[in-house]
Amino acid sequence: MSRSCEQATEQIYFYLDGEMSYFRRLRIRWHLRRCGHCDCAFDFEEKVKEMIREKSRTEPSMELIDRLHALLREEAGNDSER
Amino acid sequence: MADQANFEDDAMQFASQLYSAALRMTRNPADAEDVVQETYLKAYRAYGSFREGTNLKAWLYRILTNTYINRYRKAQRRPSEVELGELQDLYLFRRLGEQSGATESAEAEVLEQFVDTDVIEALESLPENFRMAVLLADVEGFAYKEIADMLDIPIGTVMSRLHRGRKALQKKLWHLAEERGITGRAS
Repeated sequence: MSRSCEQATEQIYFYLDGEMSYFRRLRIRWHLRRCGHCDCAFDFEEKVKEMIREKSRTEPSMELIDRLHALLREEAGNDSER
Repeated sequence: MADQANFEDDAMQFASQLYSAALRMTRNPADAEDVVQETYLKAYRAYGSFREGTNLKAWLYRILTNTYINRYRKAQRRPSEVELGELQDLYLFRRLGEQSGATESAEAEVLEQFVDTDVIEALESLPENFRMAVLLADVEGFAYKEIADMLDIPIGTVMSRLHRGRKALQKKLWHLAEERGITGRAS
């Protein structure tokens, strides 16, 4: 693993999170075009991020949604009586 | 200033997402429902102070996060700074590579074999500080600065918790993959 691979790996999350300045991004992309291993690692990390977003949701019951609507209407009703 | 009369129409579209996030925080459906209800009530009452045109989702998450922290961190009565020990970069990618000597496309295929309950278990196994950072960044898609504002911590702390939390989550996923025999070793 070369020094530029180490540098890329250290900054991988800043890159994937879009929390990196334009010129630093360019430097990373330059490296990724020349290093197949890092390119794969970056792709993989991006897929992990996507997977976490897609596979970690739990839907609420309809009953909770109904209760929230009722709660807000009751609160609005209380306001108008004041 | 936002009009309180519009609150229901404006804010209810986020109810499913907020519930899901609350459930990952509390790890318990009854507590998650309580947190979401309290969040909506507080948000409704404070809606006059929400500046229209700014990010409503982030504003609601800030209230959700504070509600959760006030309710449950007080109850814990202990500092919640947990350390995770040494964690390797690219944990999952490296383990998968070593394990199978697999081609790089095979590493991505392993990801497809994780089901929702695996990811949820891995996320919920993280200590709270790290779980909150990963949840807000990876699941909810907030920027570092927004998370720093929500949790009222410096941006550097957000980064370190997020980066370390991700590595720990990958380590947990790797253990789950080993248990379930989906590491690619069999093939």
